[in-house]
Parts: sequence; C-alpha cells; structure tokens
Amino acid sequence: MIKISQLEKIYRTEEVETIALNKLNMEVNDGEFVAVMGPSGCGKSTLLNILGLLDDPDAGSFMFNNIEVAHFNERKRADLRKHNIGFVFQSFNLIDELTVFENVELPLIYTGVKSADRKKRVEAVLDKVQIMHRRNHYPQQLSGGQQQRVAVARAVVNNPKLILADEPTGNLDSSNGNEVMQLLTELNEQGTTIVMVTHSEHDARYSHRIIRMLDGQTVTQNILI
Amino acid sequence: MLKNYLLVAWRNLRRNKVFSFINITGLALGLACSLLIMLWVQDEKSMDSFHANGLRLYNIYERQYYDGRIEAGYYTPGKLAEELKRKIPEIERAADIDLDERNTFQVGDKILKEDGNFASEDFFSMFSFPLLQGKAQNALADISSIAISKKMAVQFFGSPEEAFGKTIRYENKKDFKVTAVYNDIPQNSSIKGDFVLNWFQYLEENSWAKEWGNNGPATSIMLRADAKPDAVRNKIRKFLDDYNKEQDKTFHIELGMQLFNQQYLHSDFKNGEIVGGRIEYVKIFSIIAVFIMVIACINFMNLTTARSVKRAKEIGVRKVVGAMRGVLIRQFIGEALLLSFFATVIALIIASLMLPMFNSLTSKQISFPFFNPVFWVEILGLTILTGIVSGSYPALFLSSFNPIRVLKGSMKFSSGATFFRKGLVVFQFVLSVMLIIGTIMISKQVHFIQTTNLGLDRENLVYIPIEGDLSQNFNLFKDEALNIPGVTAVSRMTGSPTEIGSNTGGVDWDGKDPSVRPMFSQASVGYDFAKTVHVKMVQGRDFSKDYGTDSVGYIINEAALRKIGYKDPIGKRLTFWGKKGAIVGVVKDFHFASLRVAIEPLVLRLRDKEEWGTILVKIETAKTKQAMAGLEKLGKELNPKFPFNYQFADENFNKMYRSEQVIDKLSTSFAILAIFISCLGLLGLAMFTAEQRTKEIGIRKVLGASVSGVFGLLSKEFLQLVFIAFVIAAPLAWWAVSKWLQDYTYRTDISWWVFAVAGIAALFIALLTVSFQAIKAAVANPVKSLRTE
Ligand SMILES: Nc1ncnc2c1ncn2[C@@H]1O[C@H](COP(=O)(O)OP(=O)(O)OP(=O)(O)O)[C@@H](O)[C@H]1O
Ligand SMILES: [Mg+2]
Repeated sequence: MIKISQLEKIYRTEEVETIALNKLNMEVNDGEFVAVMGPSGCGKSTLLNILGLLDDPDAGSFMFNNIEVAHFNERKRADLRKHNIGFVFQSFNLIDELTVFENVELPLIYTGVKSADRKKRVEAVLDKVQIMHRRNHYPQQLSGGQQQRVAVARAVVNNPKLILADEPTGNLDSSNGNEVMQLLTELNEQGTTIVMVTHSEHDARYSHRIIRMLDGQTVTQNILI
Repeated sequence: MLKNYLLVAWRNLRRNKVFSFINITGLALGLACSLLIMLWVQDEKSMDSFHANGLRLYNIYERQYYDGRIEAGYYTPGKLAEELKRKIPEIERAADIDLDERNTFQVGDKILKEDGNFASEDFFSMFSFPLLQGKAQNALADISSIAISKKMAVQFFGSPEEAFGKTIRYENKKDFKVTAVYNDIPQNSSIKGDFVLNWFQYLEENSWAKEWGNNGPATSIMLRADAKPDAVRNKIRKFLDDYNKEQDKTFHIELGMQLFNQQYLHSDFKNGEIVGGRIEYVKIFSIIAVFIMVIACINFMNLTTARSVKRAKEIGVRKVVGAMRGVLIRQFIGEALLLSFFATVIALIIASLMLPMFNSLTSKQISFPFFNPVFWVEILGLTILTGIVSGSYPALFLSSFNPIRVLKGSMKFSSGATFFRKGLVVFQFVLSVMLIIGTIMISKQVHFIQTTNLGLDRENLVYIPIEGDLSQNFNLFKDEALNIPGVTAVSRMTGSPTEIGSNTGGVDWDGKDPSVRPMFSQASVGYDFAKTVHVKMVQGRDFSKDYGTDSVGYIINEAALRKIGYKDPIGKRLTFWGKKGAIVGVVKDFHFASLRVAIEPLVLRLRDKEEWGTILVKIETAKTKQAMAGLEKLGKELNPKFPFNYQFADENFNKMYRSEQVIDKLSTSFAILAIFISCLGLLGLAMFTAEQRTKEIGIRKVLGASVSGVFGLLSKEFLQLVFIAFVIAAPLAWWAVSKWLQDYTYRTDISWWVFAVAGIAALFIALLTVSFQAIKAAVANPVKSLRTE
C-alpha cells in the first residue's frame, strides 16, 4: 500500500535547518499493523503527517496504492485523504461545539454521503466502539478513553484503507489505553491497515512489526508475528 | 452540510456570549443607523417625484449679470408664465407661483390662519395634486376662485363636498368661491399648503409684479411631450430682452430652466450655475452611513479573526477529515451571513424604535416601507453585503490555517496578519476621530451663528404681521403700544431685519460710474427703526418724526457707503427708483441675510403707510410677560377679525439655520455611535489579547512584574494604535472641515483645541475600554493562569 524511498523533509527557520526525515525508506503492505518508535524529535510525527498527506516531502518518492503522490497539490491530497485515510491523535482533537454523533458524522459530510446513510453508518460505528449511549453528549462530558474511542470511530466511519495513529494512548491511563488498542486490533483484523506512532513497548506489541527510527531514518525493524 | 454549519455557528454564538453580543450589537447599531440614513436619503430623493408629468416640468430661474458678477435665483416677473406659453410653442402649460404665504380666512364665526400659495390657471393641470371636487382647468380660472385642501375644507365646512362652491372670506376684505378641493398634499412635496389662490388676485395685490423690471414669484413650465428641452433652453435664454427694457451694457438678465423635481436638492447657485444645495447633506450623510458600516464590519472582522485561535482546532480537524479550503471559506462566510442576518433583525427593531425620535429631529414623517418589496430587497442586499464584506477576511484567514501546526498547538499569527488587524483598528479610529472633529466643528459653527454679533439686537424683539385693520391702524397701534409697560420702542418694516431679500439696481448718486449697475438690498422701514432693532448709527440719524423731509431721506449701511464713495455722506444726493432724496444716516453694517453671504450694500427708505409688513416691538427682558399680554390685548382690540399673531426675532432667526441645527444634532449622534461601535471592537480585541496572553502575564508576574507594569504592557499597544489613528485623521478632518466652512462667509475658525479635544477623547475612551480588561488580567493570580496550561 505504501512505498517510500529516499524521502526527505527539512524544516528551515531563520537560524537553523532541521532535517526531520533523512533519505528515509519504508514499506507498508495492505492489512499490516505497523508501530513506529523512536526517541523524541526523531521525526515520527513528521513521517505520519506525510503518510497522511497533510504535508508534502521535500524530496524522494511516496507511492500510495502505486500512485506517486509526493507532488500532489493540496486539493488532490485532500481528495485522496478524505476517501482513504483516517487519523487518531494523542489529544483526540474532537470539535468541542459538536456532539459525539456530529463529530463522527463530519467526514461523511465532507465526502458527500446522504443524510439517511450517514445516520446508519455513524450509528453502526458508534455501536462498534460502544459509545452509542453517549451519542448526544459533547466531548467535554466524556472521559479521555471515551473521547479517544469517539476519535477512532470518526477515523473509521468512512471505511478508510489506512488509519494513522499518533500516540493514541499517550493521554490515557493503562486500562483506557488497552481498550483503544483492542479497538485498533479489531479494526486491523477486519482488514484496515494501521500505522501507529508510540512510545510504549506495551502498545507496540499489539502490532505486527515495529519500525525504529533515529534522526530521521529507520534503523531497525522487528517483526513480531 | 448547511445544517452542520448553521449548527456550529449557532453553538459558537451561544458559547461565546460576550463575543457574540459585541459582534451582533456592533453590527446591529451600524445597520440601524445606516438604515435610518438610507430612509432619510430616499425620502430626500423622492421629494417632488410623484408628479405624473415630472419629466416635462421645469422651473425657470433668472441669471442677473451686473457689476461684474452673476447672481441667480428662482425669482421671475409676475407675468412671465403667460408670455412664455404664448410665445414658445414647445411650452404646453405654464404657471406663475408664489409659495409659502400665510393668510387669514373666515367662514361664519370661524377665523383661522392657513398656509398656502398663489398660482395661475394651469397649476392643477401641470402638477399632480388630485382634485376631490372641481375641475383642474377651471380651479383657478377667475379672480374670485380659490382651491383649498381637504383638511381646510373639513376645518371650515365639514367635508370637501360641503365646501365646494361655498364662499370663504380672505383677510377680512374679500370673498372667494371654493372652485376646487384637492387632496392633502403629501409630505414629499416641496409645494405645500392648504389653499391655492388665483393669480389675478396675486397681481392685484402686488401690482409691482406686473412690471417686467421686477421679479419675485416663481415660474414653472410644462413642455410638450415631444419638445426638446435644449431647444427650449435656447429659446428662453434671451426671452426677457423683448420685455425688460432696463437692460443695457451694465445689466442684463438671462433665463434658465431646471427640471422641477431637481430643485429641492439642487438649488444653490454660484456664478449663475447650479452647484449643489441640500444634495451636499445627502452626500455627507451617505458617507457617514458608509463610514459607520465600515467601522461595524471592521469590528466584525477583527473579533472573528481574534477568536480564530480558539477555533483553530476545529479548522484543523475539519481539514484533516477532508474539508477543502473552499468549503471552509463558504462555512465562515455563511457564519458571517447568519450573524449579519441576526444583526439586521435587531437593527430593524432598533431603527423602528428610534424612528419617531429621528423624525422629530429631522422634521420628517418617514415611516418604514414595510409593504414595499423594494425595501426588503434593499435590506436583504445590505445584509448580504455586510455579511460578505465582514466575513471575507476572516474566512480567507481562517481557512488558510495549516492543520498540522494548529493541531500541534503551535498556532501563531503571522506578523502580516497582525499588522493587517492593527491596520483595521487604526482605520476604524481614523474614521471615528474624523467624525468627532467634524462634529465638534459643526457644533462650533452652529454656536458661532447663534451667538455671533449680528450688529443688531435680536433679543426681546417681537414681530407682529401687519394685516387686516392693522394696515390702517398702525400709528394708533404704535402710540398705544408705547404705553404698555415693558415696551421700549416700536417700528415697522417690510420683511424682517434678519431677512432682507429684495434687491434693486435702481440706485443713483453723484459721481456714479454710468457703465456699472451695482445692486443694493433694500427695505422699507418705519420711524425709529434703528432705535427699535438696536442697530448703531455711525453717522447721521435714525428716521424721525421730528424732521419733515424724511419721506425723501435714506439710510444706508457702511457697505453701501463704500460702494457709493461719498466722503461726507450726510445730506448728499441719493436717487432711489427715480425718487431723488438725501442720505440722512449711515448705519453700521449688520447681518440682514444668512451668514453664508457677505453683508451687501443696503438702502433703507421710509414708508410709514405701506399696507403690509411687520411691526417691530422692542421689549424689556424683565417685563416680557406683561408686555406680551398688553400687546395681545391691543392686537385684539385694533384688529378683531384676526387672531393675534407674533414671533420672537431670535426664534425666527434660528429657523434660518434649522438645517445646520439638524445636521449638528444628527452628526453628533452618529459620531457618538461610531465611537461606541469602535470601542466595542476595541473591547473585544482587548479581551482577546488579555486571554491570549494570560500565560505570558502569569510568567511575568511570577518573575516579578508589578500590576501597573502589566497594565501598561497591555494598554500601551492599543493606545499606540489610537494615537496613530489620530495622527492620520487630524489632517484629513482639517481638510474636510475647512471645505465645509467655505460655504460660510462668516465662520468660526478651526482651533487647535478641537483637535486636542478629539484626540484626548478618543484616547481616553479607548483607555477606558481596554483598561477594564487590562486590569483584570494584571491582577489575576498567576498560579491559576499557569496551571490551566
Ligand atoms: N514546524 C516545524 N518547524 C521546525 N522544525 C520542526 C517543525 N516540526 C518539527 N520540527 C522538527 O523536526 C524534528 C522532528 O519532529 P517530529 O515532531 O516529527 O518529532 P517526533 O519524533 O514526533 O517527536 P515526539 O516523540 O516528541 O513527538 C524535530 O527536531 C522538530 O524540532
Ligand atoms: Mg510526535
């Protein structure tokens, strides 16, 4: 599904130049569950942003489903993103002004799904993450774990092929964290490819393969299965 | 999708009540005030627009060339209409008109004063004043006919039907037959009044108007449908040459014409050309309306972008889950439209509540055209325009956020955006400061007009019209009045001392250059004129009964003396309208016309037996009540058929400057409003900054910053903006104000303190606005603010 070669990302500020990704190579196959680990500042989030088409690389190639997307413009990226990719963030990033239901509904609105269809699909996915009974609550009225489950629900409601999760358990205690990891594993078992950044060896063990990064490069890979 | 936007917008409104309140209030006030101005402008523009023949109706004006200058006005000889119609085939109808008379009528025991006009036969066939009784062509056809309004018909006879054909007594000297009853004249007509008397009567009363050398009445014409206005214009230009034989190298008159419905707004002449008039006020207020709307829209932009930090996350999330930029732009414009829609609803409520006050201020009877679809289209247009203008910048700005950065929480305004926002605040305050300066200057000029030394004393001076038996009994009235305690002097004149309108070129003196024909203002006065109105004699004496020769004596003013050039004027020859006499006195220049114009040369002649005019009575301040009661009693005694009627000179004088007073009050209200709206914006911004910098302030305080230091830090930034605004606004305002003042020959000066006051006021109000927030932030407990991070 993903094939990256010689990928570079350089941040330039007035004084310094940070090489966030340095000629990075990596591959993710359909249906895989990959964990990315590494010390703080090694470029994990940068990589995830590029994988999620939120950002573009400075050099190198990024094949997504055998299409070169490294130089897609913003419009094309947004289009590809909304049909194929779901995101889960450390800080949940739910919209405070919208209810649980409306937050999850949002991606469907942007992909133009009809209202009746939306209702069915949102309810189905809320059921799946066991948060249906809270559908009319606002994010602040939920616990951290519940919020993250909503975020996961939002990430999968469009049936994306790929879910990108950046430290999804970073703000959760271990029991809530495990619930979320459980959920991701189920999704993966149903065929969704997952790339997850984490600092926790415990969480990483839910994945099939761990990619370890240092200074913008992949250093080792552990196959876990 | 739409539902989702509206939902978010609505919840945003409710969650941020203070912001929403400030935003909507600012917009609503701006809209309400624009709405009122819009109604006023429309009302002004609709003046005289209802005549079915509107595009064929023209007014005639005269352009007089003399003494190296051109004076123009809507005064014409009294038989011009008749002759124009007879001689020029393109002119289908024509009427001489004398407007704004006030006369006394009587039916049975009922005696009333009514306002009305004189006009010739074609009047009702030209103008659209629908008749309830009678026929247009014979409504004013003979010397005993009168047309009256429905209102007057009801007053005297009970109904238009009853009134038709009845007789009504005029000035207790002649009976007229009601030949027509017309519907009450609508508010938006410059021809007003409850009666129209026939023109034969006018000419009989004013035989001077039959002379082609004199002028006074207005003339209106109606062209044939197929006539070319320019051809007619050419034909009438030299029309008077065949009639007015006084014309020569030194003096000639041309006629011009102007569409009738244009006169109301365009009636000021300069060098014989129409240069403006009330249209200036229409323009000024349209500009003010735009200013206020811009200020309100800027508020909106600023508050919305300021709040965007709070919404950054929402925008980031929307982008991550697939929203394109265009979609977001639409969302934010949509929100702005929603807000401006709310604001419009509130504005309509505010405006309709303020309308009665506005009407009494402007002496209008504007009502909301709620049943006029055009009005609603305009309102909708205004709402949409406001929404789009005020939503555009925030939409572009917000939708450009980079989702990675905002979700990471490292959201910082670019310096460009900050600069732009500050620029908007500056711009807002530039407009406000200009309005403040303009308003102070208008008030200053109005005050100047009201307090300026006219050269005569208009305090405690009473005008009583000479009518009915008073025209015979004047001398008796004068003798009796002088016996009333509190009455110190009595005289008379044609017109009033602050409004001498008539002028003439018929003045001759020894050594006059025969090649020029200077114009002199003129009025007939009675004995003791100078004594009564307190004008100062600089040479010679007042008209007095002690000298038998006064009927051929003249008093001139200093301006006239300069024109005439006599070294030692008293006793020297002056010939007025062929009547040879001598100068008996020179009066110090006094303002007998508007302060907009310079004091012209003036000749006063003695006419103690004139049948019309005004009695002038000077009374003592302390005995006003007694004196007025005595005068009323005397008036009823000597003139029983007429209600006692009087006016104080200063009231009459103030009427001349009514439009200035209205402008003064309106611009003051609008300036206050503008400043208020600007401050709402500033308040919002200050709140936002304080909120934004909570953490920074907390850290500073932990590190030892004092409350006053933090206060200064927060206020300084805003005060700087207001100061910059002042520096920009001051020269602009100076330019605008001096342009306005140019209209006045006698004007107040533009003092530096006006600018100082405006600047300090703006700074002070701004400081007051931001300080509340700054203090709140400065005294907050730093531990609290840091813990929330
Ligand atoms: N917008 C930016 N401007 C400049 N430098 C940046 C920017 N974003 C990231 N960097 C730099 O790029 C490098 C990689 O950052 P990235 O956020 O990918 O690290 P990370 O591996 O996710 O770290 P962490 O585990 O702490 O989240 C860091 O050195 C960081 O300072
Ligand atoms: Mg990271």
